[in-house]
Amino acid sequence: MWAYRPVERPEVPGEGHPVDAFIEVQLEKQDLEAAPQADPRTLIRRATFDLLGLPPKPVEVKNFVTAWKVDSEKAWEDLVERLLASPHYGEQWGRHWLDVVRYADSSGFANDYERPNTWRYRDYVIRAFNEDKPYDQFIREQIAGDEIGKREDTEMLIATGFLRMGPWEHTGMSVAKVTRQQFLDDVTDSVGQVFLAHALRCARCHDHKFDPIPTRDYYAMQAIFATTQFAEVETDWLPEENLDGMEEDKLYHAKRKKANDALLDRLNAKKKEYEAEWFSDRGLPWKTKEEAMKAGAKPEDLPEGKLFEKPEEFGMERIGRKWNNRFAWEMDRYQPVAYTVYSGKTRKMKNNYNRIPMPKNPMGEGELEKTAILEGGDPFSPTVPVKPGVLSAVPGGLDYEIPETVGGRRTALANWIADPQNSLTARVMVNRIWQHHFGQGIASNPNSFGATGKKPTHPKLLDWLASEFVAKGWSIKEMHRLMMRSKAYRRSTRHPDMATVEEKDPEKTSYAVFLPRRLAAEEIRDASLRVSGELNPEQGGIPIRPDMNMEAALQPRMIMGTFAPSYVPNPKPEQRNRRTIYTHKTRGHRDPFLEVFNQPGPDLSCERRDTSNVTPQVFTLFNSEESIDRALAFADRVLKERKGEGDEGAIRRAFALAYGREPEAEEMEVCLQHWREMEEVQKKAKYEPRDYPTEIERRANEENTGEIFTFSEKLYVFEDYVHDLQPHEVDVRTRAFADLCLVLLNSNEFVYIY
Amino acid sequence: MNTRRDFLYGLTSSLGSVAFSSLLSREAMAKPGPGAQALHFPTAKAKHCIFLYMEGGPSHIDTFDPKPKLKNLHMQEFTREGEEQSAMSSGKRYYVESPFEFIKAGKSGADMCTLWENLKDVADDLCFYRGMQVDSVNHPTANYQANTGNQFGGDPGIGAWVNYGLGTENDDLPGFIVLPELAHPQGGAANWANGYLPTSYQGTPLRPKGSHILDIQPPAGISREHQRKNLDLLAKLNRKHAEEHPYHNDLVTRMKNYELAFRMQTQVPGIVNIEKESAKTKEMYGIGSEPTDDVGRRCLLARKLVEKGVRFVQLYVSTWDSHDYLSKAHGSLIPRVDKPIAALIKDLKDRGLLEETLIVWMGEFGRTPDNGVRSGGKAYGRDHNPDAMTVWMAGGGVNAGHTIGATDEIGAKAVEKIHHVRDFHVTLLRLLGLDDNKLTYYHAGRFKQLSQFGGTVIEELIA
Repeated sequence: MWAYRPVERPEVPGEGHPVDAFIEVQLEKQDLEAAPQADPRTLIRRATFDLLGLPPKPVEVKNFVTAWKVDSEKAWEDLVERLLASPHYGEQWGRHWLDVVRYADSSGFANDYERPNTWRYRDYVIRAFNEDKPYDQFIREQIAGDEIGKREDTEMLIATGFLRMGPWEHTGMSVAKVTRQQFLDDVTDSVGQVFLAHALRCARCHDHKFDPIPTRDYYAMQAIFATTQFAEVETDWLPEENLDGMEEDKLYHAKRKKANDALLDRLNAKKKEYEAEWFSDRGLPWKTKEEAMKAGAKPEDLPEGKLFEKPEEFGMERIGRKWNNRFAWEMDRYQPVAYTVYSGKTRKMKNNYNRIPMPKNPMGEGELEKTAILEGGDPFSPTVPVKPGVLSAVPGGLDYEIPETVGGRRTALANWIADPQNSLTARVMVNRIWQHHFGQGIASNPNSFGATGKKPTHPKLLDWLASEFVAKGWSIKEMHRLMMRSKAYRRSTRHPDMATVEEKDPEKTSYAVFLPRRLAAEEIRDASLRVSGELNPEQGGIPIRPDMNMEAALQPRMIMGTFAPSYVPNPKPEQRNRRTIYTHKTRGHRDPFLEVFNQPGPDLSCERRDTSNVTPQVFTLFNSEESIDRALAFADRVLKERKGEGDEGAIRRAFALAYGREPEAEEMEVCLQHWREMEEVQKKAKYEPRDYPTEIERRANEENTGEIFTFSEKLYVFEDYVHDLQPHEVDVRTRAFADLCLVLLNSNEFVYIY
Repeated sequence: MNTRRDFLYGLTSSLGSVAFSSLLSREAMAKPGPGAQALHFPTAKAKHCIFLYMEGGPSHIDTFDPKPKLKNLHMQEFTREGEEQSAMSSGKRYYVESPFEFIKAGKSGADMCTLWENLKDVADDLCFYRGMQVDSVNHPTANYQANTGNQFGGDPGIGAWVNYGLGTENDDLPGFIVLPELAHPQGGAANWANGYLPTSYQGTPLRPKGSHILDIQPPAGISREHQRKNLDLLAKLNRKHAEEHPYHNDLVTRMKNYELAFRMQTQVPGIVNIEKESAKTKEMYGIGSEPTDDVGRRCLLARKLVEKGVRFVQLYVSTWDSHDYLSKAHGSLIPRVDKPIAALIKDLKDRGLLEETLIVWMGEFGRTPDNGVRSGGKAYGRDHNPDAMTVWMAGGGVNAGHTIGATDEIGAKAVEKIHHVRDFHVTLLRLLGLDDNKLTYYHAGRFKQLSQFGGTVIEELIA
């Protein structure tokens, strides 16, 4: 139960960098020699991907290598400082945070409605990292921003969106008490995992089997949220928020909506026709069902259900109604609305398909929830009443008071979590930071610090770091500096005597060598765009929609009772080709490019990404249009930039961009040879311009009739779509060079960092 | 850390020398996966599972569980309210009789509505179960519970667990293949996710139209020769790089994947091609005629995949959600699936594969004996019912020719041999030789399992 012991600052066991001192003790115990320092090219690539999620530019590599020769220590420190000051830093480290909190732009489940304003939370997180917001403050804002800020404090309202990041919906089939309980369970468990590295859900039905978390603690934590209520509140835009592209996006969105309104009108007219016919066939005096009902017609004089006949009519009418509602709500994307919470009474939830407004009086309508232990977690089986409280096993937890007032409960919780005396908080966060730098946590289950999680390999180091984190004002950037300045971080992944390391440290927890890692899904896409020269570094704003495999984009997808609209990309390359963190993340429709490279699903908190090595990744990276487009742009860019420098100059430039180094003589030779060969192949190849459908027909099963129906959808974006460079637009030489570039983007040297 | 199993279609031979015959043949012996060191129940017969998932909630009352009592109650109105009710289930309601007639099929006298014109011929191969209950009345949550055990999603699909336990029989094909409809179901791909298990256990959808697997072929204009040359350069650059990093095992794995992918481009279309099957076989499955063509193709493909050693095939047929127009909707859905499913059972039997293949037919929940009065009218359908449903199994080790459990006289609730779906999951694993309590994976602070917290085997379903 190490994690419940108070953090005590251990003595640093030796001279030099404290991190290295702690690691050295362990290395000596294992009788292992540390690997030498990595070379500067490797190091700048390692550090740049680590902090920015992007490859270093060739000029940056060149400058760094030059500075390294003069004073390697200073060059390294300057590099770390430069990277920490880059606005791209927040995009990379914000992404790690969004994995843990399960960020998405949709609600999941049956309707998977868009959450039109969660992107403001995503940008808040990126800003927080860039500004090096002290972590204790970051905690307070996300748990209790609405309480600690002033009512009109937009940033604080956006921050508390954290509490609503999990999947959630309430439909006509939902029972209000059940969906309310779902939220309460979700938020309790989420706060536990995110800040305290404790999944609390187990204690919902019984005392935790492994950790000292009785069911009472679980419901005490839950009672803190018993007054937490959903609201989408109108605010002002923040000056930092990026509003670019909104007007244009809205235009296309409005077109879709208008077309759908027209469809509904047509079908309603049709319905009336059928109704008129039905009534006149029976010699009844009415024209429509509505009219008949108003006139008090007898049930037998009313048609059953809808009078449609064809599956198309039934199917399209449902689409029309559902899309009408979706498109209307999605207009909120362009409004300064904060997806947030307030404290008050629980109103009875009705079918939720629109913004939830803030009530004039939070204590007006509804029920003031009183938490009780639920038998088997069932909201209809309350047993013993429970007061709000925190985990009793954490030092000080037993005596910590959470007020029973309606407001202020979350503030008190946040203060307890953000207290330097809390034995979990700082340990959890420094462990997460460590994991992303070194490829594994000191405690290797960053979401599980309880009895079942793996014990820390270097407990004293973890404690020293935790105490240092607090001492440095909870500054995350200070932790980066500290960890990255260590020798351990700068070690080579190679070792003069790797056989001994493998033998004595098969799990590689000694830090005798640095661990190589595969790029994350987002890094693969972002790095390809950077290398191809297409990356638009613009930051923030409404979610972007990059090109997606067309079959996946147009894949019919069931939402409650009908089918979701197609995925359409943004019309312009500069809008599409932005960093992946800004892409629209729909829970029920994930981008296969990112999914195959282990972007985690947003339903569970992801403590550490899987890095599988599977064949479908080859299909994606080697065959997809998205990949081939990058290669072509990469080739075109290099040939334009290196006009007049000959083939060798081009290859040198391509290597510099992709790998940050010069090609060796042998590589130069095979690459030149390949280029010549591919020119012969490309002379024979024939490419047609790609087809971008402005209207598509899709087929699916219709629910009322059980028959297949066809429906069409206008894709207005493709009327003005500016495609990325395509093979038929360039000459043979460029295409052949693009083959070489595709190989570089697929190579192990590109996707692994050392 | 990557393990060898992390490598989806895991190559066993060295680079460039894989005999492709292995793609087409199957090894006789099952080898346990990392989740089970040895089969927990070595006498289990089933080695594969074909899971026929009827999305939307097929009505037990109108398929396999006749309720004559509803004839007397037909159109009688009542009102229901209460905080345990949803908007859908409260308010003015009326009882609905089944529009279909029923027969007693086979020697076992299994109840079936007369629309099951073909399934009745294999009635004695089926084991019906009427005691199952689930937690959720919403489609996606109920789908997630039926397919992953966890109604909130994010957990591994059953097929992922089965592969994690049983390992692979064919290294060159995914062990968990999904045959979706044109449209993906509610809840999407999370229904066949790997969840917290390694990605290699993810269900691979074989798409009914377009590319079977996304991007398996390069875009138009790129020939095989063209790709081969690019691959050759890639191999050269990668080889040099791997020499510089001899202890980085992922590099070699990844290099092999490129070669395997290149071969799969020509092999997969052959495997999924059913055109070469005999005219008689195609006719048997209803391929080439309506309304059976789509499900028939996929049922035949499921059989072929099982023959190739795929562990778990899941086939989706949707829109059983007949709130309205039950007669029309169920009336056209049953004939879509009847002939193909009956053919699948017969075909597996003829090939001696039924013994080792477990077939499951189920939806996410059953339907209510009553319906809501909606927008001033009665459109004769049924709402969702988590308390009563019918599922059936056939093949490997099931108690064929029996109907287990019962619902009350109107089909509102299970009243005999009642079990939560988690027990059904435990039973399903048991039939495949796996013990749910031993088939676990550490995640988020505990060892997780398909049943979530453990369950009991429904012994009556096992022969």
